[in-house]
Amino acid sequence: MAVIPEPVRQQLKDRFDTVLSGPVHLTLYTRPGSSRLILPAGVGCATCEDARQMAELLRDAAPEKVTLDLIDITRDPARATADEIYDVPTIAVGQNSEAPRIRFRGLPTGTEFPALIDAVERVSRMEHGLSEESVAALAKLTEPAEVMVFATPT
Amino acid sequence: MSLANRMALASPQVRAVCVEANEFPHLSAQFRVRGVPHTVINRRSAFVGALPERDFVAAVLEGAGVLVEEPHEAPSGPSTEIT
Repeated sequence: MAVIPEPVRQQLKDRFDTVLSGPVHLTLYTRPGSSRLILPAGVGCATCEDARQMAELLRDAAPEKVTLDLIDITRDPARATADEIYDVPTIAVGQNSEAPRIRFRGLPTGTEFPALIDAVERVSRMEHGLSEESVAALAKLTEPAEVMVFATPT
Repeated sequence: MSLANRMALASPQVRAVCVEANEFPHLSAQFRVRGVPHTVINRRSAFVGALPERDFVAAVLEGAGVLVEEPHEAPSGPSTEIT
């Protein structure tokens, strides 16, 4: 299945050519797929194949800057535990492979796809774009904070 | 969700997780997701709707237990505690 049509793929290449400046590392955590079957939680993965295609398209849009690791959590459960991966597919975005703190749980379509592109671009440029006031406020955090944002494709 | 990602870039203490609500109904049920975007901080406080940056940061600090100097009110309703 073509998750991203060719014109969008080309747009992505053109955009990444001009916008990306530094390295971006994507890690895709998957489990062997089960096509379109809807299975109980923890069994199979209906969207892992689509997520793999999406992650590979991002990498292929700028292969000199974007790298991709594919982790099958059934083959490497220790890695999943270490990275605190509870569901698949999960795409993590960071500058390197060390426990990236930006994650997309589920296939990032709809409003999540532009957010994924934005995350890749911002990580590449190390450009959070927040105000100085916000950065100063966030510096008050002394312990990890998890911010989960639920979204839907439409 | 872009703001959450940007906060994760700005602070090593923040982890941003965008969750596809339909794909993980057990999570949507656990966190009582009725509308999107639905933001959950440290699995104990939540708000629905998009907030301006300043209010979003304040909500994250509150959810993380950091004392916020100015009282904050979310335009779409107050944050709720998850029990």
